[in-house]
Amino acid sequence: MTLPRFDLSRPMIGAVVAILAVMIVLPVGWLVVYAFSDKAGNPTLANFVTLFTDPSFEDPLITTLIIAFSTSAICCVVAAPLGWLVARTDMPLARTFRVLVMASLVTPPFVGAIAWEMLAAPNSGLLNQIWRTVTGAPADEALFDIYTLTGLIFTIVCYTFPYVFILVANALDRMPGELEDASSMLGAGTWATARRITIPLALPTLLAGALIAFLQALNIFGSPAILAIPAGFHTLTTKIWSLFEFPPKPELAAATALPLLVLTVALLRAQSLVLGRRSYAVLGGKYGAPRLIRLGSLRIPAALLAMALLSLPLFLPYAALFNTAFSPISSEFVTPATFTLRNVFFTFGQLSSTMPALVNTLELATLSATVCGLLALLVSYIVARRAVRGWPVLNFLATAPLAIPGIVLGVGLFLAYTRPPLTLYGTIWILLIAFVTIELPAAYQQFRSAFHAVHPELEEAGRMLGATRVRTLWNITGPLLRASIVATWCFVFVGVIRELSAAVILFTSETKVVAVLIFDLKESGDVGAIAVLSLTIVVITAFVLALANRLGSGRDAVRLRTLA
Amino acid sequence: MASVELKALGKRFGAATAVDGVSLRIEHGQLVCLLGPSGCGKTTTLRLIAGFIEPSAGEIVVGNKILSSPARTVPPEGRNMSMIFQSYALWPHMTVAENVAYGLRIRRMDAATIAAKLKAILSTTRLDALAGRYPGELSGGQQQRVSLARALVVEPETLLLDEPLSNLDANLREEMRFEIRRLHDQYRYTTVYVTHDQAEAMTTADLIAVMNKGRIEQLGTPKEIYERPVSAFVARFIGGSNILEGKALDAERVSIGGTALRTTGRPLRAGETVAVSVRQHDVGLQTAAPAGSDNVLHATVARQVFLGGYRDYTVVLDDKTEMRATVSADNDIPPGRDVWLSLPAAKCRALMEGNTP
Repeated sequence: MTLPRFDLSRPMIGAVVAILAVMIVLPVGWLVVYAFSDKAGNPTLANFVTLFTDPSFEDPLITTLIIAFSTSAICCVVAAPLGWLVARTDMPLARTFRVLVMASLVTPPFVGAIAWEMLAAPNSGLLNQIWRTVTGAPADEALFDIYTLTGLIFTIVCYTFPYVFILVANALDRMPGELEDASSMLGAGTWATARRITIPLALPTLLAGALIAFLQALNIFGSPAILAIPAGFHTLTTKIWSLFEFPPKPELAAATALPLLVLTVALLRAQSLVLGRRSYAVLGGKYGAPRLIRLGSLRIPAALLAMALLSLPLFLPYAALFNTAFSPISSEFVTPATFTLRNVFFTFGQLSSTMPALVNTLELATLSATVCGLLALLVSYIVARRAVRGWPVLNFLATAPLAIPGIVLGVGLFLAYTRPPLTLYGTIWILLIAFVTIELPAAYQQFRSAFHAVHPELEEAGRMLGATRVRTLWNITGPLLRASIVATWCFVFVGVIRELSAAVILFTSETKVVAVLIFDLKESGDVGAIAVLSLTIVVITAFVLALANRLGSGRDAVRLRTLA
Repeated sequence: MASVELKALGKRFGAATAVDGVSLRIEHGQLVCLLGPSGCGKTTTLRLIAGFIEPSAGEIVVGNKILSSPARTVPPEGRNMSMIFQSYALWPHMTVAENVAYGLRIRRMDAATIAAKLKAILSTTRLDALAGRYPGELSGGQQQRVSLARALVVEPETLLLDEPLSNLDANLREEMRFEIRRLHDQYRYTTVYVTHDQAEAMTTADLIAVMNKGRIEQLGTPKEIYERPVSAFVARFIGGSNILEGKALDAERVSIGGTALRTTGRPLRAGETVAVSVRQHDVGLQTAAPAGSDNVLHATVARQVFLGGYRDYTVVLDDKTEMRATVSADNDIPPGRDVWLSLPAAKCRALMEGNTP
């Protein structure tokens, strides 16, 4: 008889709980303490009284809700039909379209906002210039004004709808074709089947997408900081940020953040209530691949419409960024005669903060992606397999950061780690904690759905043959999840590169990242360098994603699909 | 109401031929099973009939209408057919009643008619108590019945079944076989039933079309297919057969390992190589040479298994050919013993030429 091998799972699970506590419970705990304290540290409700009575807090609250609701609604209205067109019909260029939507995700929202500033600022905006040239309108008139609530919502939607689109398209890809075939057999035409079967089945996904869009719009800091502040209004995030300008009011900032937390938790609850007892899990045995719906004479118009929509998050903003990057004057159209590399040389040659910021960014992105991926993998495994009794707690902790706007997490981390025992402020580690925490929910959700696709029996078979939990995870589940792991790593990497809101609170001159650098340059009005740096971020991200696509998908993904 | 006719139907996927010149006429009210191993083209044939895919050659005629041809294919929703899917394809977001009433709603029937028809079919399929449940809350057999009810309630001209019982356990499968036949007899649709399970085909079908490599190998009643297989493939696939090979001595006798065996099935040409099929059940087993009878082969018992109602023997002929015999459970002969096999001439079927193994 051999001695039972030491099972690493218990200490490992303990470590996960401890890490999550340090990452989430501590900062949020300090936030709550501050929210209910006055300046001297005595308990009080005065902060909340201010929040709900002072118009300078009420207005941002209402503005934020308007933005979140409209973003969520518009994203669904745009993304659902697009997802259906791409996944379920014979629309030409469907694959290209998917790739391009993914590509538009590469754009950090604040870069998008800056690009749309270049396009649609009332005076210097390129689109307005074209409009004035074409119509002969006077110089003080403008077709578009991006510095409005509508303009802000528009730019947020541009960089939020891809998430909803990808969710919907993937859900439709996975939906068994036989469910639609059965409807056709009973006499339902293409549209009846889409309306009665396909759309209702995709509804839970759409709801999840609406929720994601809502939360994105709720938490977003970059776009409103760039567009709302010049327009003279605040959202909750920019308001919180402004409370950290001198003299800082962390108590009020904390109190402003708490309603967001409550709202998000309520939304997540509501989602599970709506789904109710209808199980959307696929029933029965093997399913065929879905048949593509023939659009007939609508094929070309559909493709044109899709591409026209893509010009908003993708073609137009990049045209503006390239124009600014290679033009001597940012508000003029570049011509072969005026084309210049001056901005590029300035950014990488003369601007002393560029290189350190780049190094910091890449270092943090790599570290965060690795740490976050491992953590999310462990937590999702524990939750998916209900490996410990306290799994709902882990589930909650790993989802909770969704409810914490990046800027609020920044504040919480600031409060928690400027004091002993862990004085991390001013180091790169505080940024690492921030980024891992922010990206954890996305990574966790990714793995959770991946685990749902890997049948527990595959693991149980391994354990029956004498492998420990950890070993099974390493030998069996890990390889099966390879595509998801690579994809998640890259998502986190990309997420970190575009993160601005927590970094803007936590950076010091030693730990500046590129996103913060761009935001700083915005203040000094160096538009050429902003364009060059933005394009640099985008190129790095695109490169990582392309690499991931080669490594992660392809053969493995196909093999997994045939297995399932 | 209409017959279904496949005329030289063919389907290629790239270089692979899935269905190769299938011709079949199904009269109104008949239940035809397409029977064959996986990859034989039976499901592709069914999906061609349903209109999910277009034929590369030939046509499908229902009544007087051409529904499928390489030039034009009527879409599934225009065919007034119903289909039962292997996975049942129940919509998880609808209750049992909503699933079943779906086809009626699509046909824009009024609420009273829908309610009446729904009530009738739910009671026929014994689902009354489950009308408000969601598919995820049903057992496999119940899901299967919902799928049946959903297909039948619209009173289709043609009913298509794609391996409908393969996800059920053995007991339930047996029960549902009779259920499908009972409902068929009650409503008399033209039915095409795809399966790889010969017992399923035997119990439900009027006609069985045994398919192999995209072609129909034999078409006939269950009794004909079982008793008079035309090829080694059919003989082996249906009910387990021994295939023996020998040289024809004259019009009816074949030499198997030096022993002359009288056969039926077709007249033989002296000198040709002939494959002879003998069902395992038709082989008699004795421990002593029966006096004066012909069609007897000498063999040795290799192994035997007790299977409750009978024993399954594997014996080896003098020329080392293995044969299987299913005999009474009382007939207990230990391995190694000499035995004599009597093969009734009427049960020794000479197979078509070109069928030697």
